[in-house]
Amino acid sequence: MNNAFAIALGCLLPVTLAAQAAKPSLPDGVITRDVRFFSEGVVCFGRIFLPKGLTPASKAAAVVLAPGWGETEASIEQYAARFASRGLVAMAIDYRGWGKSGGFLYLVDPIRWDDRQRFSQHTARVRIRRRRLLPEAQVLDIRNAISYLQGEPGVDRARIGVWGTDMAGGHVVVAAAIDSRIKAAVAQVPIVDGRDVPRKAFAPSPSQQGAMVRLARSGQAPAGVIAAEARNDEETKLALAEYHPFWYADAIPATTAVLFVVAEKDTTVNNDAHAVAASKLLKGPNGVASVSGATHSLAMPGAFETAVDAAAAWFVKYL
Amino acid sequence: MPRPVRLGLLAVVVAGTGISAQISTDLVDRRRAAFHAQATDADMKREGGTQPRDWTYDLPDGVSTRQVTFYKDGGTPLYGKLFLPKTFNTRGSWPAVAVGHGINALSIGIEKYAARFAERGLVAMAIDYQSYGFSGSGSDDLRLLDPDPTTDAVVVTDRHVRLLVKRTNLNNIHEVEDFRAAISFLQGEPGVDAKRIGIWGSSNGGSVVIAVAALDARVKAVVSQVSGAAPSARGPAPFEAAMLDDGIRRARTGQGAEVDGGFSFRSKVDQWSTQRNRDLRPGSLLDQIPPTTHILYLPAENDELSGRGGAGAIAATRYLSERGVTAQTIVFPELTHFQAYSHTGFEVGSTLAADWFLKYLGTAAAQKATAAPAQAAR
Repeated sequence: MNNAFAIALGCLLPVTLAAQAAKPSLPDGVITRDVRFFSEGVVCFGRIFLPKGLTPASKAAAVVLAPGWGETEASIEQYAARFASRGLVAMAIDYRGWGKSGGFLYLVDPIRWDDRQRFSQHTARVRIRRRRLLPEAQVLDIRNAISYLQGEPGVDRARIGVWGTDMAGGHVVVAAAIDSRIKAAVAQVPIVDGRDVPRKAFAPSPSQQGAMVRLARSGQAPAGVIAAEARNDEETKLALAEYHPFWYADAIPATTAVLFVVAEKDTTVNNDAHAVAASKLLKGPNGVASVSGATHSLAMPGAFETAVDAAAAWFVKYL
Repeated sequence: MPRPVRLGLLAVVVAGTGISAQISTDLVDRRRAAFHAQATDADMKREGGTQPRDWTYDLPDGVSTRQVTFYKDGGTPLYGKLFLPKTFNTRGSWPAVAVGHGINALSIGIEKYAARFAERGLVAMAIDYQSYGFSGSGSDDLRLLDPDPTTDAVVVTDRHVRLLVKRTNLNNIHEVEDFRAAISFLQGEPGVDAKRIGIWGSSNGGSVVIAVAALDARVKAVVSQVSGAAPSARGPAPFEAAMLDDGIRRARTGQGAEVDGGFSFRSKVDQWSTQRNRDLRPGSLLDQIPPTTHILYLPAENDELSGRGGAGAIAATRYLSERGVTAQTIVFPELTHFQAYSHTGFEVGSTLAADWFLKYLGTAAAQKATAAPAQAAR
């Protein structure tokens, strides 16, 4: 079982980052604003941290921050606050189906539609699913948050960065390889799966294929908590089986600067097989910063400071 | 601008692992006069789309159909129409093909291909993509008009709500998922051999099927008609300034600009769909196609939309062949993009496609003896 799987299976009881327990007050002059952004059809939550002195005429660099696996925006606010104290506009987000974001929607009642009418309004019963862990959807949420942030007054839309921790460390590698708006990325304690998987079409195992067949033939949106939780797990396992951020590292353009921040004593992820190996495929400015003595949670005193300062310095330098 | 190379060269561009990898192109040679007639007859012109008279067909003798619902992405219902061969029975072991339409189109326009495949002994299923035709709109196409009241405390909630339903959400990433869900459905269909699944797509759908082949090794045979993305580099697609603005507007308001979409069926589509579809560039994924998947390109010589002379398909065929993937390009002489769907274009195109599927998926009878393990996955 690989690391990502282990984390996926533990995802319903997310690790609490020690740092989130005590929410520090905002740095001097930094203010926050809660925003709603659309990711595909879903209204998602973001909290923007604005640096001191920002005006609509400013041309500030900006960073989208993406939480770890099974985490919410609240778990990464302190990073956004710190980035703002360094002059960056920082937007921490909740993924679709998590935190203060809306859920995934499925129609329960049949409705009538007509393709000649693109939009029609209905009153109908819908099923709203939450806490799905779908890496590709999370990557899209990050990219849609970039769109929002590019329209923020005072933001220079040409200077956009992304920051992600844990699984989102892999997400930012993927995003940087498919979204040309990203100029700098920081992947913290990243899970960059896929080094040992050849970049080839997915060949499902018999049990995976069985699950795919079952979902296609009887995969209505699940009703009831037990069925929905089981479905969430099943969908996540299938999605992770095909999710290989490592494959994307060599497609990141030379103009994008990527920093990996790893925990020296990480036991959740093998840094050599993930961040370090991925960094060797990069064409542009890159680095691996190791937080001495820290584990995956970066809970050790001083670990957060080291990690956030490395990230902030990277964005300031390359944005 | 040089004239297209003469037919003798173009009609048979084969690069495979050997002569045995090819299907015969004799039919193209025999029908050359008919192709010429179609290309020059005013009544057979198809500028800007197919016509309703091109969609009709007679159900072949003994072929039966069944409308089905299958699911993707956590519960979005899609529509498929199954075409079952005359001698079909659920105790057998039949090859099966998912048949998908072009850009901003509907399955009713390409049902006749599925009917033809069934006539040739293949189980075939014509599908509508998400938010098209009889297929439902999914989470990406539905928007609540009231605040979402749910929290992480409950994973699923049923609510009576006001919502906005979007149709014709043109999205090639969706279409890849749609094909893959169709493959899964077919694999579980009693009487179908889960190990012998093919996909057929035309125009934009012809690009999508190549991407599906690059992402899903369950596909054993592919026919990509009037399409053919040449090999291309991986990496992020560029953004035009107008797209950047539209992306911002969509993220901030939930609605961006619309443009006219489609040919044979017209509707508005999101301007953004052009940018979104650049996330999936089949030409950059060709090296992911495994040697167990067999690719036939059927470009049209005078294709005004996908490129003339089948140049992209020929380059892709060469690229695949060099990497041990059986691939072949057969060009429809003289035809334009939409002429491929009618008259000689349809007759020859559907025949060659069926030939390809039968060659690389096999027939029902040939595989009957080994049918038992194929169903084990269900």
